[in-house]
Amino acid sequence: MLSPLILTKPENLFEKIINMNSPSSTDTRPSVRWLISQARSVRLWIFLSIGIAFLGGLLIVFQARLIADIIHGAFMDHLSREELLPMFTLLAIVVAIRAFFQWAREVSGFQAGARIREKLRLSILKHLAESGPIGIGGKPAGALASVAIEQVEAVHGFFADFLPQLVIAFLVPITLVAFVFPISWAAGGLLLATAPMVPLFMVLIGMGAESISQRNFQALSRMSAHFLDTLQGLGTLKLFGRSRDETGSIEKVSEQYRLQTMRVLKVAFLSAAVLEFFSSFAIAMTAIYLGMSFLGYINFGTYGTPLTFGDGLFILILAPDFYLPLRDLGSHFHVRAEAVGAAGEIQKIFALPVKKQEGVIPTWQKGHPLNIRFENVHYAFDGGRNAVLCGVDLEIQSVKRLAIVGSSGAGKTTIGRLLLTFGQPSDGRILINGVDLSTLDPESWQKHVSWIGQHPVLFHGTIRENIRIGNPDASPEEVEAAATAASVNVFTDRLPLGLDTSIGEHGSGLSRGQAQQVALARAFLKNASLILLDEPTAGLDSETETKIMDAIFRFCEGRTLIFMTHRLGHIHEVDQIVVLAEGKVAEQGTFEELIHLRGLLSQFLTSLNEGVLFSEGT
Amino acid sequence: MKLFRTLFPFIRRFRPHLHRMFLGTLSGAIALAAAVGLLSLSGWFLSAAAFAGLTSATAQTFNFFYPSVGVRLFAFTRIISRYGERIITHDTTFHILKTLRVWFYESIEPLAPACLSRYRSGEILNRLVSDIDALDNLYIRILSPAVSAFLIVIFLGVFLSMFDAVLSAAACGILIIAIVVVPWAASVSSMDIGQNLAKISGILRTHIIEGIQGLTDLIVFGAMEKHQERLSSYHRQMISLQQQMSHIRGLSNASISLLSGSAVWIVLFIGVYLVDSGELPGVFLACLALAVWAAFEAAVPLAHAFQHLGRTREAAQRIHEITSIPPAVLFTEKSKGDPETYDIDFENIRFHYHPEDPPVFDGFNFKISHGRRTALVGETGCGKSTLVHLLTRTWDPTRGRICIGDLDLKDLTQDELRKTITVISQQAHIFNGTLADNLQIARPDAGESDMLHALETVRLADFVYSLPQGLNTWVGESGHCLSGGQARRLALARAVLHDAPVWVLDEPTEGLDKITEMEVIQSLMECAKNRTVLIITHRLLDFQKIDQVALMDKGRIIASGSHHDLIQTNHRYRKIVSKMV
Repeated sequence: MLSPLILTKPENLFEKIINMNSPSSTDTRPSVRWLISQARSVRLWIFLSIGIAFLGGLLIVFQARLIADIIHGAFMDHLSREELLPMFTLLAIVVAIRAFFQWAREVSGFQAGARIREKLRLSILKHLAESGPIGIGGKPAGALASVAIEQVEAVHGFFADFLPQLVIAFLVPITLVAFVFPISWAAGGLLLATAPMVPLFMVLIGMGAESISQRNFQALSRMSAHFLDTLQGLGTLKLFGRSRDETGSIEKVSEQYRLQTMRVLKVAFLSAAVLEFFSSFAIAMTAIYLGMSFLGYINFGTYGTPLTFGDGLFILILAPDFYLPLRDLGSHFHVRAEAVGAAGEIQKIFALPVKKQEGVIPTWQKGHPLNIRFENVHYAFDGGRNAVLCGVDLEIQSVKRLAIVGSSGAGKTTIGRLLLTFGQPSDGRILINGVDLSTLDPESWQKHVSWIGQHPVLFHGTIRENIRIGNPDASPEEVEAAATAASVNVFTDRLPLGLDTSIGEHGSGLSRGQAQQVALARAFLKNASLILLDEPTAGLDSETETKIMDAIFRFCEGRTLIFMTHRLGHIHEVDQIVVLAEGKVAEQGTFEELIHLRGLLSQFLTSLNEGVLFSEGT
Repeated sequence: MKLFRTLFPFIRRFRPHLHRMFLGTLSGAIALAAAVGLLSLSGWFLSAAAFAGLTSATAQTFNFFYPSVGVRLFAFTRIISRYGERIITHDTTFHILKTLRVWFYESIEPLAPACLSRYRSGEILNRLVSDIDALDNLYIRILSPAVSAFLIVIFLGVFLSMFDAVLSAAACGILIIAIVVVPWAASVSSMDIGQNLAKISGILRTHIIEGIQGLTDLIVFGAMEKHQERLSSYHRQMISLQQQMSHIRGLSNASISLLSGSAVWIVLFIGVYLVDSGELPGVFLACLALAVWAAFEAAVPLAHAFQHLGRTREAAQRIHEITSIPPAVLFTEKSKGDPETYDIDFENIRFHYHPEDPPVFDGFNFKISHGRRTALVGETGCGKSTLVHLLTRTWDPTRGRICIGDLDLKDLTQDELRKTITVISQQAHIFNGTLADNLQIARPDAGESDMLHALETVRLADFVYSLPQGLNTWVGESGHCLSGGQARRLALARAVLHDAPVWVLDEPTEGLDKITEMEVIQSLMECAKNRTVLIITHRLLDFQKIDQVALMDKGRIIASGSHHDLIQTNHRYRKIVSKMV
């Protein structure tokens, strides 16, 4: 009954068996196929792992034979220890080699898993970088990081343990039976009679193990969620004097989950008990059969010659090992469920779009003055469903300072990202001094653009190192100058280490405004001809906002500045204002012109007066 | 032992479940003993039968009934006790989990929110919760298998010494190495690696997150390649640590295998000699060897479990760190009765969060009269929120006192304080439950009409009427099914229900549109008649409904009066109000 399975291509065989156990095989199949396709790159390690286990199986046979023969020799043939010494020596060697194989099995399995994880993790990180801010969209960084870390870790066991064990669970029992059969077809038959149950076992184990781990996990995570909810709301509960009553509720919820989960587990553990039943009873039945045939009550099962004691003992010693690989497989089944879940998450990341350029790409040549033109630019997210820009026409010609205003979601950030070549217009084009931006080598263009976003991003390291990112070749004087231009020196002068002060993750140790100033210095150091600002003062109080805007305006003399904002505090200081609405340019002109127009900008300004009294951190 | 000292406070909490723990462990030990019995009896039975089978006379008289029943009995016992062990140990684990959670909650309840403020972020709380989950492994993975293993050593020792003391000592010695030395060595050698592993994966995560958040910066400033290099170097460090862990795991597997082989070898080596010299009947040789072999089943799970003991220990340490924080504020138990009026008077307050920090307040004085509606306005960091913390006794002032009517705030019991002052904080939590659950937090016995009235006041009733399940509508995790404005109003409805003489509303209308804001403030203020109300805000509210506006700056009230007067007389106030115009 095994032959039809074996004749199919090995990968299909895996898929069949792996899917056999999952109740919802329809949705996990692509993930399983993907996992198996990954296995190809480490198949040598997996085969090594299987090979070692197979050799280990042969050693089990050899070891059982030696033990049985030593006992037979001493008991039946009355041999002395000296006469048995060669066998003792052999046994010691076999024991030592088996131990070595145990270690080698673990290490080769680890290599298989580790190599796959290395490949996956690095390509996930690369893919994220290539997708760029537009490709990633608004997905939270923490969730993406957990895919790159936890989910990648979760596939390890699939390659290190589960896949090799899947083969071993077939291979080793069959090998063992192959040695029992020549001695006694009845004993071999007894073991083999359970062999057709092997796939059945697997289904049982698989379903059992999966539902144990899944239900257990679900119940636990629900209970944890309740606990977490209570802890998070502890402050609120306390303000209403209700916090002490919650003890009872926690106890009740925990007790409910215990009862629920135990109901499931009582059934789920039965599948393990079935396997236990087969292995224990097979041993008992083998022993009884062998004993009976020694006593002459049973006269079948051998090939004419009666069984010797040594042969019988050999079979008895092998019997538990017949089922051991199956039990091990059972314990690896939860690993499979985890890996399949993780594979789905990982594939989602690889599905993020990446922009590609082919052929010879001209590089951007710096030329004055900078002329930027948007011609009927369209852009939509989610494969065209969410239109953000619907035909933007815009010319930025020898303008010093341009502000793009609009309510949040009007497409300001998208314009900035298109200018940074993180995405390409779905229709229309952007021309830089007459050249279509999408035909240019992005890196050569990005070299001439500086950018400051809403959230200053600082990296582990000193303030000086963070500024230097703007231009790694800058001289120390230039770094100091940039720091001064952004008023970083105002607060670093008070620090004992000055610019060499280390900052922690996410710029901890600095206030939001200070971190933004460091980001500013970095952008200044880059000495680019185009400066893009995306709400650089969001979440800052008005005093800090003024300080930062002054520094920006001072620095941008003689450069092109595009300044995207929905706050209008400094709007009258720019040379030209573009108002975006519904994905189009609604108004364009100087501050005075637009005020005079009494259009959208005037409306924004009036509504603002009724809104916020103090600007507060968001 | 340091490890024991860290874990003991938790193991002590297991006490109410001692009988269950014992039962579970006993089942485990019986399952192990049955396996030993099954194999050794089978070995003896085979030997005896083979010996008896040599001549037909002995074969005829050989009583095979008891051994074959015994073999089946052991097999049966094995299945039942293994199943029983799984059920009982899991059940016990759930009981322990319950006890630990309740205990943990009771120990941190007095700390909230002051001492827990730095644990507020979901991530850290999440870690705490999973730390508690990690502790329940202590019984099922560590304690129970270890105790079972020791019982099996004793059982095996007694059984073997009935035949020969030396043989017994040798076999048990090796078994003890397998269940004590190997797990200990695995635990000790992976302790540091495990810690470094946790550290490096934390670093890797931080850098990945930084890289994603700063993707634009990295690309624009051409720093992507360097960043990727750094990430892959951290990744390689992590893999190399994991490889060391894998080696330890491989070595402990190998050691167990080597030890079990050696034990069988030594039993045979001694046994063959004893048989040869006539001190041991040969019929028992297989029985003894197989007994020892089967007993090693006890050693297998231990080494693996102990390799991760470091993680459990760290979880225990983190939890201990929190539960041993002294509460910031102690409440009196003795009631002095209700205050005569509900004036609130801050008298010469000095306060700082840490002794080394500059004080938030130094000589702060402020009076809020009974039945008046006061708005407190000021920039971020001026001390508005701290004022709320002091009023709710999240912290106590380092100097000065806060009076409510004729009583010091400290003379109120915790329950009296909560009944007197309702605070709707900015972080008002929406619980994972129904709308009714969320409202009844403010008043457990509130009926449907009470709740609907409260919702009416905050202009949320129409929304609730429109829901098919009305008050029984489930609001998801942190109020995900509600918009920000709806969640805010639900929190305000709690204040209406709580019916306290003093209301403190921190940014009550955050997230509401202009028109709803006006309506909500109007009806709240009507509901607030005869109450003392303090509204803390940075928004320009409908100040017509407010009796007194106080302008706060750098821990001081710099101006107060009606909105009308302040506009007329206070230059700074006027400037702030008109700044955006």
